[in-house]
Amino acid sequence: MDASRGHMSFCSTRQDHHQSSHTSQVPERPGAQLNIRSLLEMGFSETQADEMHEGALKSRGKHIPSILTVLLLLGLNPASILKIMQKCPEMYSLKGAEIQQRIDNLRKLGLVEGSLQRVISHYPKVMVLPIKRVNMVSRLLKEKCHVTVQQVTDILRDSPEVLEEDLARLEYKFQYAYFRMGVRQAEMVKAKMFRLTLSMLRCRHCFLERRGLYQTPDKKGQTLILNPLLKDFICVSEETYLTQVAMATAEEFHVFCKLIEREQEEEFSNEEQELDDDDDDDDDYDEKHWKTGYKRDKK
Amino acid sequence: MAAYICTRFCINKFKDSVRFIPRRYRVKSKWAQTRPKFPSTTIALQNFDATYSIQLGNLWPSVRVAMLSEQKYGALINNFSSTASVITSELQAEGCIDFIGSHQHSKDSMPLHKDSAEVDVSKLATQEPTISPDIKCLVFPQGDISRFKPSRQDSSGLLGYYLLDAASVLPVLALDLQLGHAVLDLCAAPGGKTLALLQTHTVSFLLANDSSGSRTARLCKTLQSYMPRENLEENKIQISSFDGCKLGQIEEKRFDRVLVDVPCTTDRHSVMVEDNNMFNRSRTKERQRLPLLQIQLLMAGIHAARPGGDIVYSTCSLSQLQNECVVQQAICQAQEMGISVQVQDLGWLTRCFSNTFYFAPQLSVGELVLPHLCANFGPIYMCKLRRSN
Repeated sequence: MDASRGHMSFCSTRQDHHQSSHTSQVPERPGAQLNIRSLLEMGFSETQADEMHEGALKSRGKHIPSILTVLLLLGLNPASILKIMQKCPEMYSLKGAEIQQRIDNLRKLGLVEGSLQRVISHYPKVMVLPIKRVNMVSRLLKEKCHVTVQQVTDILRDSPEVLEEDLARLEYKFQYAYFRMGVRQAEMVKAKMFRLTLSMLRCRHCFLERRGLYQTPDKKGQTLILNPLLKDFICVSEETYLTQVAMATAEEFHVFCKLIEREQEEEFSNEEQELDDDDDDDDDYDEKHWKTGYKRDKK
Repeated sequence: MAAYICTRFCINKFKDSVRFIPRRYRVKSKWAQTRPKFPSTTIALQNFDATYSIQLGNLWPSVRVAMLSEQKYGALINNFSSTASVITSELQAEGCIDFIGSHQHSKDSMPLHKDSAEVDVSKLATQEPTISPDIKCLVFPQGDISRFKPSRQDSSGLLGYYLLDAASVLPVLALDLQLGHAVLDLCAAPGGKTLALLQTHTVSFLLANDSSGSRTARLCKTLQSYMPRENLEENKIQISSFDGCKLGQIEEKRFDRVLVDVPCTTDRHSVMVEDNNMFNRSRTKERQRLPLLQIQLLMAGIHAARPGGDIVYSTCSLSQLQNECVVQQAICQAQEMGISVQVQDLGWLTRCFSNTFYFAPQLSVGELVLPHLCANFGPIYMCKLRRSN
């Protein structure tokens, strides 16, 4: 680990130059683009090298050596690199420099060594997303959801799936948890709430609420009953949720999810109808529903 | 701060006279809204939480979530419509089950197993009242959340089916109607149970009563859109708008079967719908007087029943105070008046339909259908009484 970190410290700019010169050479000798021998030299075992080679041929990536160098420099071992590439074949079509930039950006967002590697190997798609997108999500979390910088890092580490989510939906999900469930940001991050989809979150919360086991706190944060902790019913499996928290059968919960989904659809279509009716009156009303945020929904 | 009010003249408009109110009697209404405004549905829910969590124990959360979710309907097939059989097969193709008829089939096939197993059970089965084969009620199977389309008219303008809570057919089945019976429906509107009664074709005379005029009008409308005109003649069906409590004296000992489906807190409605809510602050008195009214109505029903006749008392509430307590109180009152009334066992009904409805365990008298997410019918309470003299 330490050795790779040593490389890291001076690789930032020089490495890029080196790589670009390396890739410029590629068209001259296409045969040497990626051969099994160079893979073996990098430390891949024979079967691994075969698989990697096959994948590279299939996706027709042009800059694979540079990608592998970057990933190796990051301290990932050949086995996990192979796994990453298999999980996300879009990686083959990237450039090494691009990946380096994105990694640097993630570092800037506070992901330290260890968690950075973890995020990349668990969720390789993070490498495919443009820097702009990643920054947009982190800015949304900071500005619209009032999440601290440290918490943004935690969210990225624990639930990198948020990077792919629609921004308006992400904000809506946050608002649902904040206003409807009365949960503070710190708790949300702790419970890894951003992993869940909005519909799942709503199902689990409404199910508890209608069973009389959860109440939205009032403005002083008081409730008549003791609410279960968010982390106890969000980041647990459905089975534990049903047996430990909701005390219900799976059958009931599944029927309930179906019902809630339909309720939501109907509410949504009703509102759209209302919006259509309103449109004549005020022109500057934003058509897009999600932008209107949660509060408007609540009536 | 206060808005300027012209205090020189304060004129109160009464119905048609204009009156001057002297200053000393003038009351200034309070501006500050000191009393916090809670929606009636919240009050209802708080009330239920307090009472039912004790009454139902562990069952309450699942009943609660069911009551707060969309209710399930059953389609009562209208035998008078010419398209009844077509509609039935259409709905069955969509996946509906006739829960009354399907029970009958399963009963026919069951004795095969019973012969070897238990003789007692088959004895019991022979004592069981027969369930009228003419009442057909189609429901979607457990866990299926599809809905029925609104029913359409056939060539003669009659509607094909009536949508109602499937559990409200049970009190009618409990009545066990026989050919030539005179029947009284004490609180008939809006007409779902009345219609189910008439589907049996066994009623010789029916008196459908409801104290409120507008509700009687609705009952008339329902019957007209489901029954051909010749069946609605005066000598067969009468619709009246008396005070139900007094009907006992007017029509004493006249009916073979009496259905007393009393007004109650309508739990599901109270928890879901804001308008016409029983838990509105302005209706507190009315709500508190409900059990009393229910006892009076049940007494009237007992009075109207012929000796040997059956009375079925039903509500759509979970509350013990409106269910068992009312029945027990009415039995006591009847005894004081020299009328002996026995509670009839409805165990056969619960055994028949236990795979369609969830029944509450261990009630002192009567049976109670509990709402459950997989079969979101009810709540319906029913109790059958027999007048012996």
